[in-house]
Amino acid sequence: MSADTERDPPSGDGDVSRKTVPDREGQSLLEVRGLDAGYGDLQILTDVDMDVAGGEYVTIVGPNGAGKSTVMKSIFGLTSHMGGTVTFEGEDITGLRPEEIIHEGIGYVPQNDNVFASLTVRENLEMGAYILDSVPQDALDAVFERFPILEERQSQKAGTMSGGQQQMLAMGRALMLEPSLLLLDEPSAGLAPDFVDDMFDRIDAINDDGTAVLMVEQNAKEALRRCDRGYVLANGRNRYMDDGDVLLNDEQVRKDFLGG
Amino acid sequence: MGIAETYTRGRQFAVTRPGSVLLALVGVVLLFDLLAGLATGQHSFSGVGSLVWDGLMRGLVVGLAGIGLSMTYSILNFANFAHGDYITAGAFSGWATTYLVAGLGRADVGALLLVGAGGSVFGGSLGIGVTGTPLAVLAGILVSGVVTVGLALFVDRTAFRPIRDADGITLLITSIGVAFALRYLMQFVFGASVRGTTAQPPAVGLYLVDGFVRIDAHDVALVVVAGALMLAVHLLLQLTKLGKAMRAMADNEDLAQITGIPTERVVRAVWVIGGGLTGVAGYMFILWKGTLGFNDGWLLLLLIFAAVILGGIGSIYGAIVGGLAIGLTASVSVIWIPSAFARAAAFFVMIVLLLVKPEGLFSGRTTA
Ligand SMILES: Nc1ncnc2c1ncn2[C@@H]1O[C@H](COP(=O)(O)OP(=O)(O)OP(=O)(O)O)[C@@H](O)[C@H]1O
Ligand SMILES: [Mg+2]
Repeated sequence: MSADTERDPPSGDGDVSRKTVPDREGQSLLEVRGLDAGYGDLQILTDVDMDVAGGEYVTIVGPNGAGKSTVMKSIFGLTSHMGGTVTFEGEDITGLRPEEIIHEGIGYVPQNDNVFASLTVRENLEMGAYILDSVPQDALDAVFERFPILEERQSQKAGTMSGGQQQMLAMGRALMLEPSLLLLDEPSAGLAPDFVDDMFDRIDAINDDGTAVLMVEQNAKEALRRCDRGYVLANGRNRYMDDGDVLLNDEQVRKDFLGG
Repeated sequence: MGIAETYTRGRQFAVTRPGSVLLALVGVVLLFDLLAGLATGQHSFSGVGSLVWDGLMRGLVVGLAGIGLSMTYSILNFANFAHGDYITAGAFSGWATTYLVAGLGRADVGALLLVGAGGSVFGGSLGIGVTGTPLAVLAGILVSGVVTVGLALFVDRTAFRPIRDADGITLLITSIGVAFALRYLMQFVFGASVRGTTAQPPAVGLYLVDGFVRIDAHDVALVVVAGALMLAVHLLLQLTKLGKAMRAMADNEDLAQITGIPTERVVRAVWVIGGGLTGVAGYMFILWKGTLGFNDGWLLLLLIFAAVILGGIGSIYGAIVGGLAIGLTASVSVIWIPSAFARAAAFFVMIVLLLVKPEGLFSGRTTA
């Protein structure tokens, strides 16, 4: 056991996440309980708990290889499930396939390769609404309003766009079904510093419009500053959970996870 | 200065792309030789024209048959060696139908269904052809497509789906097993003999400088059917939801899943479309060349692989263009080399082009 877990963090130990989620805008939307998951026989996550309330903005931070992306993938049914439950809007979605989960109202923007490079921008967005009978015009308009560059570049091949534009396209694609929860895995990765703030502003705007956000970020300080609540994950386990500002100001968290 | 600059640039190109320069040089020499031959009367214009036409027809067969292979490769990530025997299966099922429709009442039903195994019935004496027995041919085309769809789905269900997530090599070896099983099953049922299937089709001669280029009704039928199917595939991929999903899946299968595309359903659709095209390609191949044997598809598969790899494996447009390139090479090469080496020439061209452009002609345009 490392020193920091022996000491009582200000927010309590890892168990804190089991306390009921502060009732902000809605009731509990996503509840992850005691999740064990991994790849094949290799277990990565151990007893992970996580909550997101309706309209809430939650961030997951932690070192490389902590299992942050694995949490996202597990919620979306893309890993080997080894124990625990994932509940969404009161319904048990543990072990459902991705194409079933998307019907429940969760949108997911993975960390890498998150656009169809050889398809046009427009076709990428259409794929986002694949499960519907026709492309929903209001959702498409809303995406174009949010990301005007996508409307301008409609017929451009996604693979030829800049990293930032691809990230917007990936988000746009995930928003086509107007999900109540959006999973974002490192949306600022690979962006030029100037664009990082812009990206965070756009995520704020999505959240302000009522979509709950669960985001993994390497840019931990900025993410914690902007979110409602944060989780610190290490070695596939919960380490800390608290309001973003509290984590940001916690001496131990700063020292161990935020580079001082 | 302009000349000096051009020279420097030319030199640079020669240094960085020696392969392209060498290839261009060889092309120029061959072209020069051809022109000299035409000038001295060693080759006739109409003779060369006939070879080009023959090459285009061969290319259409290879290209059409290659689309299905490229499609399944791009979606399932394995080279299906049973593809050649899907072609043969399409051919036998379609031709059994054509024989039956054309010869009912004139010959023994069993002999007709076995496509005249052992010389029991001859397509020629039944007068089979696109002008002589159009309905029988149409029925044959339809049945060849439908039966091959069924076969492709059946093989996928029993052989490939259980090992969907295995690596490419496992799938490839499985497909070789399927290929052998199918081929020898067909040999067992239909016999090993190569039979003539069609009566001499009517033809026109197009006058070209010093003679005629012969174009027969089956050439025309091939152009019409292959052209229509290629156009249909293009429209399907570009305009329909299913086509876009197929391209999306070829591009990034994990993302396709996350996006909610029902990937197993798309795989099934790919077998249906790819299988149908392959079966019809098999039928048209036999209609065009006029003979049918149990090895036809397997032998054609070599050229198809060459075409598909040349075009950039996984791209259907690459398969079409690669097919035409390979078909033309195989036919036209006899101007310079003995015809026994025509196939070798096609492979040689493929290898040389791949040395120059290793990704294939249409690389990076998965399916699209
Ligand atoms: N597909 C996979 N198969 C096997 N192991 C994997 C796979 N993906 C990730 N892992 C392993 O799981 C562990 C957690 O990976 P994960 O991607 O969840 O970390 P992360 O916290 O997202 O890291 P990063 O900040 O680098 O994105 C790592 O040890 C990684 O090597
Ligand atoms: Mg990650």
